[in-house]
Amino acid sequence: MNDEKPETLDTLFENLAEISEKQRGSELTRVPSVLKSRLFSALVRQQEQAAPLMPLDECRQHGADLCVFEQIVAISPVGENLKSKNPCEICHARLLGENVENAPIYWPGCPYVKFQNR
Amino acid sequence: MLSSAVPDPETRPHHAAAAAQETELQSDVSLAASVLARDRKAAAVFVERFSGALYSYVRSRLAPNHDAVEDVMQEVFVVAWQKLPAWSGTGPLQAWLTGIARHKVGDYYRRRLHGLAPWEELNSEIADVSQPSFDLVIDRERDAGRALAIIAELPETYRLILRWRYWDGMGVNQIAEHTGRTGKAVERLLARAREQFRRRWQNE
Repeated sequence: MNDEKPETLDTLFENLAEISEKQRGSELTRVPSVLKSRLFSALVRQQEQAAPLMPLDECRQHGADLCVFEQIVAISPVGENLKSKNPCEICHARLLGENVENAPIYWPGCPYVKFQNR
Repeated sequence: MLSSAVPDPETRPHHAAAAAQETELQSDVSLAASVLARDRKAAAVFVERFSGALYSYVRSRLAPNHDAVEDVMQEVFVVAWQKLPAWSGTGPLQAWLTGIARHKVGDYYRRRLHGLAPWEELNSEIADVSQPSFDLVIDRERDAGRALAIIAELPETYRLILRWRYWDGMGVNQIAEHTGRTGKAVERLLARAREQFRRRWQNE
């Protein structure tokens, strides 16, 4: 790909690929919040299928913010088994996050809120 | 001695870059460990940190078929979770994940090429591929966008084979192996795809 002489189409495509990859690398790509939400839900389901999730209070000890619902679960006098479940599975924020781009959800500490491209 | 304690200004940027890479790697190792410990909050960070580059890659390879992007992305993250214990931790997690994405895009290409019209039925009018050069010059920055747009509008079989060969650097024999075709058949298809591109470039 130069201005001086024609090149074979084979070389041209190799150069074109190189240029476009550089351009792509320098561009900021915004991932749809719906996609991030679905990827996160799928990943947590995979984690949960492998073994019980890390208890929420342990997540907090690792520096994570908990949403208001997770905080209630974390301090409730319930067994570890329940604390290791994923409360997002029954939360409207997950449903909205997975189905509505820039969903109107604003709970602090909620991962689905953090995925919104606002 | 002071001179040995202060890095040479010439090498200081290299030290800084190496330190930044080391910090990033440590962060990757820590994040991977937390995800494997089934920390759901770490899973959110994992998605937020890596989905951008992976989405950019997958989307560029599948364009204009954006409907399939989500499925391929899901497959990438599922396989990443399954194989994460095998990640060595010696190189950036981003590069490792891109490798998985490359495999998944390859799987997608293979499935699509298998399901599309038989290669032999495609337009067989091709130029003399032994010709060393064509009367075609593309200015680097100015025309790259136009060239990509033309590729995106090519018949899907041509589009996929060009991207697989040039954008993902797959050899002709590798493509032949993946698609169950001969190297000659792949070469012929590539020649037709390049010729289609040349015609559209010159006619637009």
